[in-house]
Amino acid sequence: MAAALIATSTLVAAAACSSAVDELKTSSGERQEGGTLRVGALNDIIPARIFTNSSDSINLLIGSVYDSLIDYPLDELEPQPSLATSWELSEDGTRLSLQLRDDVTFHSGRPFTSKDVEFSIKTWADPVWTVQLQRTAAAITGFDTSDEHAITLTFAHPLSNVFDLLDMLPIIDAESIDQLREGKAFVGTGPFTFDSWSPGAKISFKRNDDYWRGKPALDGIDVSVIPDPQAQVSQLRAHQLDLILGASYRDFESLGKEDRFHVNQWNGAEGQVYVGTNVTNPALSDVRVRRAIAYALDRRRVVDEVFRGAAIPISLPWPDYSPAYDEEADATYEFDLDQAKALVDEAKADGVAIPKLPLTYPSENPIYGAIAQIVQADLAKVGIEVELDPQEQASVIQQLIGAKFPALWILSHGYAHYTPSTLAVSAYPFNADHNASLYVDPEYKEAAEGVWQQKPGAVDPADYAALNEQLLEGSFLLEIAITLPQDASSTEVHDVGQTKRGEPLFYDSYLTR
Amino acid sequence: MTDIAVAEPLVPVPVGPVPGDPAPTRRPGLLHALRHGRGLAGLVLVGAVVLLGVLGPLLAPYGATEQVTGANLVGPSTGHWLGTDELNRDILSRTLYGIRADLVVVFAAVPVGAALGVLLGLVTSWWSVTDVVAQRAFDLLLAFPALILGILLTAFFGPGLLTVGIVIVALEIPVFGRLVRTAVRTVREMPFVEASQVVGAGPLWVLRKHVLPNSLEPLTVQLAVSMSVAVFIEGAMSFLGLGVRPPNPSLGSLIKDGVRLLHDAPFFAVGPLAVVVALVLGLLLISQSLSEARRA
Repeated sequence: MAAALIATSTLVAAAACSSAVDELKTSSGERQEGGTLRVGALNDIIPARIFTNSSDSINLLIGSVYDSLIDYPLDELEPQPSLATSWELSEDGTRLSLQLRDDVTFHSGRPFTSKDVEFSIKTWADPVWTVQLQRTAAAITGFDTSDEHAITLTFAHPLSNVFDLLDMLPIIDAESIDQLREGKAFVGTGPFTFDSWSPGAKISFKRNDDYWRGKPALDGIDVSVIPDPQAQVSQLRAHQLDLILGASYRDFESLGKEDRFHVNQWNGAEGQVYVGTNVTNPALSDVRVRRAIAYALDRRRVVDEVFRGAAIPISLPWPDYSPAYDEEADATYEFDLDQAKALVDEAKADGVAIPKLPLTYPSENPIYGAIAQIVQADLAKVGIEVELDPQEQASVIQQLIGAKFPALWILSHGYAHYTPSTLAVSAYPFNADHNASLYVDPEYKEAAEGVWQQKPGAVDPADYAALNEQLLEGSFLLEIAITLPQDASSTEVHDVGQTKRGEPLFYDSYLTR
Repeated sequence: MTDIAVAEPLVPVPVGPVPGDPAPTRRPGLLHALRHGRGLAGLVLVGAVVLLGVLGPLLAPYGATEQVTGANLVGPSTGHWLGTDELNRDILSRTLYGIRADLVVVFAAVPVGAALGVLLGLVTSWWSVTDVVAQRAFDLLLAFPALILGILLTAFFGPGLLTVGIVIVALEIPVFGRLVRTAVRTVREMPFVEASQVVGAGPLWVLRKHVLPNSLEPLTVQLAVSMSVAVFIEGAMSFLGLGVRPPNPSLGSLIKDGVRLLHDAPFFAVGPLAVVVALVLGLLLISQSLSEARRA
């Protein structure tokens, strides 16, 4: 018997969407129309990486221009209708039928159909786009698009994270994909239309008057690319920006104390900051050295001093509401320099040479620099010398995707707040097939595949325990903390939202200037 | 060749003062300028900074990268005279160590750049072909503003103090090369140079014995100016993240951190800024006093 997860009428679906968006609001007041929201972002967009979920401006673009088939609310993994109004999953979990809205058009005016869903999934399955959920998209092998407003997807095997894919996958316009590649046009069905892009400087969006949920209140959004977080804060204080995405947590803390500003914290869209290790580096190929580093990470200090309390120290990536969360396993690596030193000494005694190791991190964001220096100081105490290697964010992401880090790196990852298999088979640092650590282990792969190839919502908890065991066993990625994303705006900005994907939502936003 | 008919016997022209000439007044030398007024003030300021830098490890209460448990961005106190930074490091200690980075730049990179520039300027400007080539090369280097050149060279060498030094050397070579060229072109027209050539002196001998000594004064003034500019360049490059690499301090990187935390910790940048002001002001006062002494 087919298991219907959610089946709603179009009208009910529309109401549910509004409800879902309402839940994301952070403030409310009398809605006013007009005005252009001025946003500061740290990074520019890179068209070739537009689907990699790897920078604030990319997230903003995807969240503003595109819609997905379903939306997760911030606080749970319960799919809510978006471009898909209802869906039904087969009993064996290998077929999913979705009903699609029939009143949606792309910004070009072309109607949205089931063919666009097929095209979008196939685009994500194409390795050329280096999409993190590429494997999940590629596991969708059949597309029945005989009905323009319905599609049936067939899977190679049950996909426990298929709804994660449908939440993250933006519906792309096939006709303008070449222009998308060149950064000349981004055509979706979302609340704002792409207007212009001046590389390294500004991205502009205009209101989509024909948006299927109704016309947004804002006339448009101007995103200024400002790589210096301090400059973003200064411009917010000087009323040159309305909302900033890239300040340090200390700045957010400071702004939050002033009446003129509002700081949003997005629980449910967590990220994780971590130390990555290239396990093919001779010094790091010994798991004792990697574990020593894990013990030498002063997570509590990082949480208190760098994230100003807006983070949670962890050994495993999962937030406490995740089905894979295990409190005991999460406490595996407490800060213990003696234990770390003992492991290093043991490895050295067995002939493991530990030369000075480069520690790469993005230079634009001072958070990474601060963490890197704390890590460096603590590792020095246990006999591991580290040379800091700050690099541009774009270069760091390139090394992450290409698995090119020479030794250690500090970065953030996401996806642990989704279905656990999404992290294990998709995220660049974890992907059991090919990860940034170059960690290849049949048992880890088996554990990852085990939680992936099951029906959504029906994964055996024992399989999650096995995955956790493998993550700790390999210790190729050393978690520091779950971080709670923040942004800050002037009090003239109202009802900013955030998706679980980390995309700012401005559909409901308005200004009271 | 035309024979010259000598109508009268040649009479040697008397050399040196003759009876009745006014007693020659000696203009104050460059050393004199440094012992008085602005020169002295500049010397004291630069000397103080140099002393702080040299004695830094002895004076600093903490190591340059030492993280003091629990002292997170605390204000000035008896334990931390200039406060601590966001990574619990004593700012006074980091400032004292940071001075050393700037001193290396000022007293090593600038003289190296000056020496190379002088050498190139001297040698190339004597012959017209080498002169043209060298001047166009100098034009090329001078076409880049300091920071653009810094960014360019950082792409090749990576960020760090060595790169800052290379940038400064590259910037100083054309400055000193041009200065020496002007001197060469002026001095080589002088009668005593022509005379030395008549008696068989070669170009290198003339450059070494006549041109270089007569160029030293303007070069000394320029050296002081360039040193003050070098402090700015180090500061600007470190401010942009192209200079000294973390966790090592330099005055520029400390000011960068101080500016970033200006709202939460306005005390942070005071110490490093005061040192930079003292160093730059001191060097400028020295260059001004030398320049005035030269014109006197």
